[in-house]
Amino acid sequence: MAVFRITLINELEKLYRKKKVFVAVILSLAVVVIGQLGVLGVRTGFGIRGTGNAEFSILVLSVVVNSILPLFIALVTIDSFSGEFSHNTMKITLTRPVSRFKIFLAKITAITLFILTILFLLLILSLITGFIFNVNSASAKDIFKIILAYGVSVLPQFILALGIVLFANLFKSGVSVFFISVLAYLGFQVLGLFFTQYANLLITTQLSWYTLWLSETFPVLKILRLFLLMVGYGIMLFTAGFYFFDKKEF
Amino acid sequence: MNKEKVIEIQNLTKRYPNGRGIEDINLDIYKGDIFGFLGPNGAGKTTAMKIMTGLVRPDQGDVKIFGASITEDYEKAMASVGCIIEIAESYPYLTAYENLRQAARYSPQVDRKRIEEVLELTGIHKFINEKPQKFSLGMKQRLGLAGAILNHPKIVILDEPLNGLDVEGMIDIRNLIKSMAENEGTTFFISSHLIHDVELTCDRIGVIYNGRMLNVESTENILKDYATLENYFVSEVERNGRVPNYAD
Repeated sequence: MAVFRITLINELEKLYRKKKVFVAVILSLAVVVIGQLGVLGVRTGFGIRGTGNAEFSILVLSVVVNSILPLFIALVTIDSFSGEFSHNTMKITLTRPVSRFKIFLAKITAITLFILTILFLLLILSLITGFIFNVNSASAKDIFKIILAYGVSVLPQFILALGIVLFANLFKSGVSVFFISVLAYLGFQVLGLFFTQYANLLITTQLSWYTLWLSETFPVLKILRLFLLMVGYGIMLFTAGFYFFDKKEF
Repeated sequence: MNKEKVIEIQNLTKRYPNGRGIEDINLDIYKGDIFGFLGPNGAGKTTAMKIMTGLVRPDQGDVKIFGASITEDYEKAMASVGCIIEIAESYPYLTAYENLRQAARYSPQVDRKRIEEVLELTGIHKFINEKPQKFSLGMKQRLGLAGAILNHPKIVILDEPLNGLDVEGMIDIRNLIKSMAENEGTTFFISSHLIHDVELTCDRIGVIYNGRMLNVESTENILKDYATLENYFVSEVERNGRVPNYAD
């Protein structure tokens, strides 16, 4: 456990020292500011209410989970794997007294912590701006639901990251991994539109599964089915990703 | 020889699709040895060293470090090993100090003082807070060496450690290696194409050619029969089928 903890600390240090991550955090937070300015513009310009403070946080989440968060996850994941393969810096970690499984696990944990951090910062900032700029007050129940929506959004983003990890261990170039990830993402979105009856099987649809947690009639079975599907994908993607990572020669 | 066996290479074989690789390498390295691994380009030196450090998996055979198999018990095998394989790599976005701190975390006894000490030993202490993206090849090599010896390893595996170093740097590193072997009993496994430097640094020599070990002999014995290590190397290679034409 101590070796894993050290490897994770090293991975986190590498992650936060990269400008890319800093830019990702700033841009994610900019979404909140831009969103709020948009809401204010609509309200003052057209006299339309726009959103209340509870809805604003969910509006931010709906934009982020389907656009910039997957994009930043792809960038960070590709940097953590393909970037280190191509710069030969993976050798530094691999020649330390730590097994490949622990390295793989530490990298994925660091990426998950990145997702958690972005979602947490978005949650806090969107709640604060919601309270400051939107007149409608949110009840404790609303706030609980918002926190729940942000919390459950971690899982599909994590599965998405595992998919990109698999690509990063299959293809050599980081650019290839990025474009394949983008194409796969768009492909799944299109498939979801054409085959609506199977859309729930696709990770791109599952990115918005937080909406199920917000509905008044709590769809327990649907949530459970989607949860098990995602866990299944996670296990398969993690296993496949590690298999190729473990087989890699440097 | 009653010295403790620290590295055992047994029937090590690795074949790449292009036909290169190593074939049935057997080799024992003893505590305190400064072992020189000699061979022409493409002979299999780096392949053997990559297997020894877990970067490549062997097709057959195994490497045991202090009795622990590199393929089965990697963490234990590498616990007392420092290494540079091919080029000394470092994270360009971390400072020299931060690069070494990444390695230091694996050894609780390594503190800032030790990091400063190895940077001093390798002659780059004044660049402690600089990022290696601005470093020359020689400075990167020195930083790699600092990382390799940081945790007081019992074994240091160095693939072409003198790459990019100037004469002064070569002498410094040679003295450092000799002093660590003598004072701390550190074992070194070094590959180099700089045959004269190997002669001056190493006390045992192994010659690898076309993926096979030709011979292992002490430098002392070699120099009894040959004027230089280069003569011995040419003779060994010639006996086994080819005279390398260095004039080409």
